[in-house]
Amino acid sequence: MESQDTNSMGMAEQVVPQQDKISQDILERGPVIERSDFVTEIRENKNASTWMSCFLILIGGGFGYAIGWSLEMFASSYVSGYDPFSGTLKHFLFSKWGIGGCITMLVTSLIWSVIVLVKGDRVLVWMVGAEYVTEENERQLHNVVAEMAIASGLPKPRVVVVEDPALNAFATGLTPENSTIGVTRGLLDTLDRDELQAVVGHEMGHVLNNDVLYATMISVQVGLIAMVADTIKLSFRSSSRTTSRVAYRASSGSGRGKGKGSAAAAIIAIVVLIAVSIIAPLSAKLVQMSISRKREFLADATAVKLTRNPKGLFDALGKISTTKNRFSNANRAIQHMFFVNPFRDFDRNASELFSTHPPLIERIDKLRGML
Amino acid sequence: MDGLFIAGGVAVAIILYIVTVYNGLVRSKNQVESAWSQIDVQLKRRHDLIPNLVEVTKDAMDYEQETLTAVVEARAKAVSAKDGSREGAIAAEGLLSSAMGKLLAVFENYPDLKANQNIRDLTEELSSTENRIAFSRQHYNDSVNQQNVRVESFPSNIVAGSFGFRHAVYFAVDEAEKEPVKVDLR
Repeated sequence: MESQDTNSMGMAEQVVPQQDKISQDILERGPVIERSDFVTEIRENKNASTWMSCFLILIGGGFGYAIGWSLEMFASSYVSGYDPFSGTLKHFLFSKWGIGGCITMLVTSLIWSVIVLVKGDRVLVWMVGAEYVTEENERQLHNVVAEMAIASGLPKPRVVVVEDPALNAFATGLTPENSTIGVTRGLLDTLDRDELQAVVGHEMGHVLNNDVLYATMISVQVGLIAMVADTIKLSFRSSSRTTSRVAYRASSGSGRGKGKGSAAAAIIAIVVLIAVSIIAPLSAKLVQMSISRKREFLADATAVKLTRNPKGLFDALGKISTTKNRFSNANRAIQHMFFVNPFRDFDRNASELFSTHPPLIERIDKLRGML
Repeated sequence: MDGLFIAGGVAVAIILYIVTVYNGLVRSKNQVESAWSQIDVQLKRRHDLIPNLVEVTKDAMDYEQETLTAVVEARAKAVSAKDGSREGAIAAEGLLSSAMGKLLAVFENYPDLKANQNIRDLTEELSSTENRIAFSRQHYNDSVNQQNVRVESFPSNIVAGSFGFRHAVYFAVDEAEKEPVKVDLR
C-alpha cells in the first residue's frame, strides 16, 4: 500500500509539465477546427479501416507470393544453364510456387484466427487484475453500462473494475453477447456521470463495432507475417553455411547449376527474400497500428452516437489528458484494448506511426468538431 | 460457352445480392420491433420504481407533497393508459416524464435529502430509468432510420418494394417532455 502511494506521488510530479503542455495546446487551438458529426465520422472511419484491412491481406498474400517466387528462383538456379532473364517480364514475375505461398499464407492466417477466436477471451480481464462488481456496490457504473447497452440495442455486458488510480477503461469479448466492460477506480473517482457515460459509450462502441474480433484477426495476420519473416531472417543468420555457399557459387559460377544465369538467379532470390522479410512485417505493423487508430476514432464517434452528447467525451478526454495513465497491470500485448493508451504520453509526440491510439489532442479536436 | 458462364455468374451474383438485402431488411425490421418493445420494458421499470420512491421520500419531504402527488397521479394514469391506444399511452407517459423531472429537480434543492443514502440510491435509479427510457427511444429511432435508409436507397429499394417492406415510423417526443431537466447528484 505504501509503495503504491510513493509511486503515485512520483507520477504526480511528472504530471505537472505534461499538464501544462496539454492544456496550453488545447487553448492555442482556438475554436472549432473542422465541423463534423458522428454519422460522417462513423462512415469514414469504418471505410478507412476496411480498406486498410484489405491492404493488410494484400501485404500478407504478397509476402507469401514473394517467398514462393524467391524459393522457386533459388531452386531453378540449381538447374544447369538456367537464365532468369531469358523469357518475358511476365514469365520472370510469374511463379507457381509464389501462388502456393500466397494461398498458404492466407489459409494459415485464417485457420490460426479461428483457433484464437475459439480459445476464448476472458484472458484480458484476468491479465489486468480486474474484479467483477455487483450492482449494489457500483450502482452508477452498472446503470451507465445498462443505459449504453440499451442505446446500442445490445445485451448488457459484464462489468469489472480495476483497482488502480490511473484513468482508463477497456472492453473485451469476441461477440456483443459475451462482452465485458472494465473501468479503473481512478476513472470512477474522477469523472462525473456524463463523462463516465461517454467513456462507457466508447467501450460500448468497441463492442458494437466488433473491434475485439477485428483486432484479433488483424493481430493474427500481422503476427504470422512477423513469424515467417523472423524464420527467414534467422535461417540466413544461423546457417552461415548456406549464405557462404551461395556467395561462393555466385562468385565462381560453380555448383550444381552452371553459368552466370544461375548465379544471378540465386543472388536475386536471396536479395528479394531478405528484402521482403524486412519490409513485409514493418509495413504490416504500420497498417495494423493505423487501423487501430481508426477504430479508436470510430469508437469515439460511436460514443457520441450512443450518448448524443459529445461534450461528455470531450470533458472526459480533457480530464484524462491532465493525468498520467500508465497503469500497473497493463502490458504491450493488450495496449490497444484500452480507452487511452496506457503506455504513451499524451503530447504531440504520441502521434507516432507505431502508436495504437491517436494522440489525445487529435481525439479532442475531432470531438470539438462535433460539439 | 463463355457467354453462358458469364450469364450464369451474373445471375448467381444477383440472387446472392437479393438474398443479402432481403435478410438485411428482415434484420432491421426485427430490430425496429425489438427496439419498440424495449421502450415498454423501460417504461414498466419506471412504473415499478415509483411506489418505492414514494415510500422512501414521503416522510422526508412533507413540504413538497404536491410534487410527489403529481408523480403518483401521473403514474396511475400512465399505468391505466398502457392498455389503451398508443397515442394515449404516449401522452400519459409524457405527463409522467415531466412530473418525474420536477421531482428530480426538487431533490436538487434539498441538500439534506441528498445526504440520505437511500434517497441518493433512489435518485440514481430514477435518473438512470429516465435515461434508459430516453436511450431506448433513441435506439428505436436509430433502428427506424436504418430501416428507412434501406427501404429508400437504390438498389435495395427494389428488393424492399417487391417484398413489401415499408417505412417505419419515428417516435416523436411530446411537447411536454421537451423541456430539459438536468439532474446532477454526486
